[in-house]
Amino acid sequence: MESVTRYVKSLFLWELLKGLGVTGRYLFARKITVQYPEEKTPLSNRFRGLHALRRYPNGEERCIACKLCEAVCPALAITIESEPRADGTRRTTRYDIDLFKCIYCGFCEESCPVDSIVETKEFEYTFEKRGENIMTKEMLLAMGDKYEEQLAADRLEDAPYR
Amino acid sequence: MVSIEIDGKQIKANDGAMVIEAADDAGISIPRFCYHKKLSVAANCRMCLVHVEKARKPLPACATPVTEGMKIFTRTPLALQAQKGVMEFLLINHPLDCPICDQGGECELQDVAMGYGSGLSRYCEGKRVVEDKNLGPLIATEMTRCIHCTRCVRFGEEIAGIKELGATGRGEHMKIGTYVEKTVDSELSGNVIDLCPVGALTSKPFRYRARAWEMRQADSIAPHDCVGSNIHIHTKGREVLRVVPRDNEAVNETWISDRDRFSYEGIHSADRVEKPRIKESGRWTEVSWEHALAFVGDKLKALPADKLGFVAGPSCTSEEYYLFQKLARALGTDNIDYRLRQLDISDQAQVAISQTLGQTIEEFEQNNAFLLVGSNLRKDQPILGHRLRKAGLRGASVSLINSMDHEFRFPVANKLLGGAGDLIRNLAGVTKELLAQNASYKRSKDLSDVLSGIEANDTHRSIAKALSSANKATVILGNQANYHPQSSTIRALAAAICELSGAKLSIVTDGGNSVGAQLMGVLPHRGPGGKKLSKTGLSFNEMLTTSIKGLVVMGAELDADTLTGSSALETAKHAEIVVSITPFSSAAIEKYAHVMLPVGTFAETSGTYINTEGRWQSFEGAVQPYAESRPAWKVLRVLGNVMKLDGFDYFSTEEVMDEIKEHVGHVELNNLFEWEAPAVTGLNGSNGLEMIGDVPIYSVDAIVRRAAALQGTTDAVSSCVYLNSNAASKQGLMDSDTVSVVHQSGSISMTVKLDNRVPDGCIFLPSGASTTDSLGAPFGSVKLDKLAGSINDQGAIGAANV
Amino acid sequence: MSESKLDLLTAASKAEIDQWVAKYPADKKQSATMPALRIVQDQNEGYLTQDLMDAIAEYLGIPAISVYEVATFYSMYEHKPVGKHKICVCTNVSCMLRGSDEIVAHLKKKINVNGWREVSADGRFSLKEVECLGACAGAPMMQIGREYHENLTPEKIDKILESLD
Repeated sequence: MESVTRYVKSLFLWELLKGLGVTGRYLFARKITVQYPEEKTPLSNRFRGLHALRRYPNGEERCIACKLCEAVCPALAITIESEPRADGTRRTTRYDIDLFKCIYCGFCEESCPVDSIVETKEFEYTFEKRGENIMTKEMLLAMGDKYEEQLAADRLEDAPYR
Repeated sequence: MVSIEIDGKQIKANDGAMVIEAADDAGISIPRFCYHKKLSVAANCRMCLVHVEKARKPLPACATPVTEGMKIFTRTPLALQAQKGVMEFLLINHPLDCPICDQGGECELQDVAMGYGSGLSRYCEGKRVVEDKNLGPLIATEMTRCIHCTRCVRFGEEIAGIKELGATGRGEHMKIGTYVEKTVDSELSGNVIDLCPVGALTSKPFRYRARAWEMRQADSIAPHDCVGSNIHIHTKGREVLRVVPRDNEAVNETWISDRDRFSYEGIHSADRVEKPRIKESGRWTEVSWEHALAFVGDKLKALPADKLGFVAGPSCTSEEYYLFQKLARALGTDNIDYRLRQLDISDQAQVAISQTLGQTIEEFEQNNAFLLVGSNLRKDQPILGHRLRKAGLRGASVSLINSMDHEFRFPVANKLLGGAGDLIRNLAGVTKELLAQNASYKRSKDLSDVLSGIEANDTHRSIAKALSSANKATVILGNQANYHPQSSTIRALAAAICELSGAKLSIVTDGGNSVGAQLMGVLPHRGPGGKKLSKTGLSFNEMLTTSIKGLVVMGAELDADTLTGSSALETAKHAEIVVSITPFSSAAIEKYAHVMLPVGTFAETSGTYINTEGRWQSFEGAVQPYAESRPAWKVLRVLGNVMKLDGFDYFSTEEVMDEIKEHVGHVELNNLFEWEAPAVTGLNGSNGLEMIGDVPIYSVDAIVRRAAALQGTTDAVSSCVYLNSNAASKQGLMDSDTVSVVHQSGSISMTVKLDNRVPDGCIFLPSGASTTDSLGAPFGSVKLDKLAGSINDQGAIGAANV
Repeated sequence: MSESKLDLLTAASKAEIDQWVAKYPADKKQSATMPALRIVQDQNEGYLTQDLMDAIAEYLGIPAISVYEVATFYSMYEHKPVGKHKICVCTNVSCMLRGSDEIVAHLKKKINVNGWREVSADGRFSLKEVECLGACAGAPMMQIGREYHENLTPEKIDKILESLD
């Protein structure tokens, strides 16, 4: 009995029609692809892209050189050197992230007691020369300054779940 | 012994031991903050509460003595609840600033809170804030973090011997501090950093530099005194970041001196030489190692052997010493010496092959009577000073024959002060008294002849009695006794005293490895292992009076590491080539040397130090040598190869050590020797002022002199003329006057400082600083001329700037 | 060693301290710290200065910090100038229940001070809050000098203060 059904189905190209039916349905359905780079998909506020070091509203850098991010980093991508600053506070003299090593796990962000090291939504970046893969403290702070508004908004949105 | 049970484990404990000690021995951990094995029991943190069977309440393990059949439980609900409660209370006022706290990662409070605390606190009120204290340049404070364990307070009282820290106020208002801000000026003060279980007291030079988990730890030996304290060197990359003590009950227990702890700063001084340098027509140029070594080899080989001189400081490793003397002797000269600060070595042929403590450090502490001659033991060898203090507090009779009234923080039985002549007169007085009681002494004839003009006084009698009546006694000759212009007389008299009273003779020497230098044969009259030589070369002092054409200096700065700086520099000036094997350059080296071969410091080389009790302590290098500098033993090895000398093919210090062991047996801890009857003369000195010199604690070697934090302490004696108020008023001088000091070969202008530790008729001038090098040996008569003018003349430069 | 501060102690104080020192073993002079602090405090119009504490330490041959520890621990030692009459009012449970708040308010008004440890303008009185002095039976109470005054009322306080010079 079953073999007869299968025979009839194949005779009338049933499978093919079924497949075309799917094609037809998506032909008229709403598009879910975007025309990158002209168009972009929305990003989660927890998106983990390029890193940044944030500042307080008064311009003071947040990072206190506790080195927890360096310790937690599973890829050993962070290198920190610290010293007392002239005013006696604990500050980094060097804060390097090797983007070749970084696996964008977000642990650094997670471990930071002062919300200093964060990951921005920036994911479009390229390197042309050896050495450009190192994000220095200045670059990270500049990233933070550039995206501060967005970063603050993202963190505010996420605050209830933390 | 009593048998007890902890957590079901049967344990034998000593009578009178506390529960926590028994638990520690059995490897059962009980949390604690205030308890420390080397301090008295305070029982004020309550963290070690344990459950004891039949006790109604939990008991503090640190203050509960064990009793037969006691059953202790550390993990029962009662104990755990008690510990959790205490932890919650301790955290009430402790700030949550672990991320910026240097103790983070090695903090006892963090660890114990993780292990025994509860996850959250019910406390939501404000936390208290405590004002910070200024404890000087070595210790950083953050008193808000203090949990009042009072370890630092007890350390000050019991170990450092000075109560500087204390707990004022009570309850919520209790604060640890000096109340009045004053520098903690103990030579052991750095140990409070290790004692502090939280981040209240941390190391200032190390502040915010690194986390415990990112440093590598290397075992090493401290090179600044003859104790050879065991240390850990903590490094990150190529940098030494800090030094902490390594427990060794036989040597330094758990303490190290501030000098050993903070000297590492000197390693990274700006004076480090990066590449070999050669001076050509007055200008220094950096050259390659090949070039520099070939240059040195050619120059040295071209000179006649008897015109060569080899000079080493007292803190090089044994391997370096061995290769150094091997090089010298391969070049055919015995002009080699390490005794840069000894003026009188006329008894060198008789003295013991190695001058040691004459006993182990632990035995040293067990003596019942001490006679300290010419020694500021507390500052010169702080760990021995601590052992002496322990003996003194235990009731041992300690007598001093010293030139300065150095402070010893325990009751001193007898004290005799005076200049160089008085020192010998007093020693002779004690000898005479002992001789009078012991007429059958085999050498009484020799002695009574030379002592005919000496009268024993009551103090001499009392010292003699203490020494001969004690069952264990020791006579200690300190640094100043060794530097003394008649130190052979001192040694002979001290040996006689020891023979007469049955005491042991201890000779504590300067530098980290002077015992090694003697055993390796860095001496003009003895080869490795004390081997007698067919002819005797020139000692350092003799080199200064003969025309040396080629001088090789290893691990020493001729201006600051000698007592006769000016004549050393003069000799160097007339030499054709002066090779300085040194980690550092200095203005003086640049002037006198022609070649600088940069070598690593103690942290950058492997080697062996032999301490004052004859203990051979080998260590590995903790970091790579700075820039292009190399370990000194490698430099010497290659220098041997370059000069085509035999037997310089070593691959490691172990190979050198194997060869050393063939020549040198174990160290004989006996300093008694066949002394010749000394000439007890020249005692009356000058009618005017007499100069007494000594090397202050933070001027002893090149590394320490460059350790910035140590130079900021009150112990970093500045280059001034010190005299007591009597002498000053006699000379018509006031504090901070400027005077011209006229002495032997020269004169310099310096600032006057009043210091009543200086005896009458004497002035004290710290050596070991380049400002005083033009004055010659710091003994003998001296004249002060008051100068008009401000105090900020060029002479008044503090040692800190040297 | 800094300058000797022994001269700050009067001969009478020294003699009195000596009496106390004599009561303890010769090597336990530290035991006399508390009486010495009291004697010196009396000598100096009721309060201690750091110099005076240093002087005591020097006189007894103990570290200065040991004297500071004791002097800051006990509440009966004053470190700031006090009035000629130090009024110590108990505000502990028994006295509070029996109306010490009212007593305190009245005292403040009477000697015209705003708070604890203040000295009145004429320097005659100062007010100090103390814990239980063990006279709960007569609560509310206060101590002036060495006298206890119990069962206080505003009127009684007026009378007491007037009787003092």
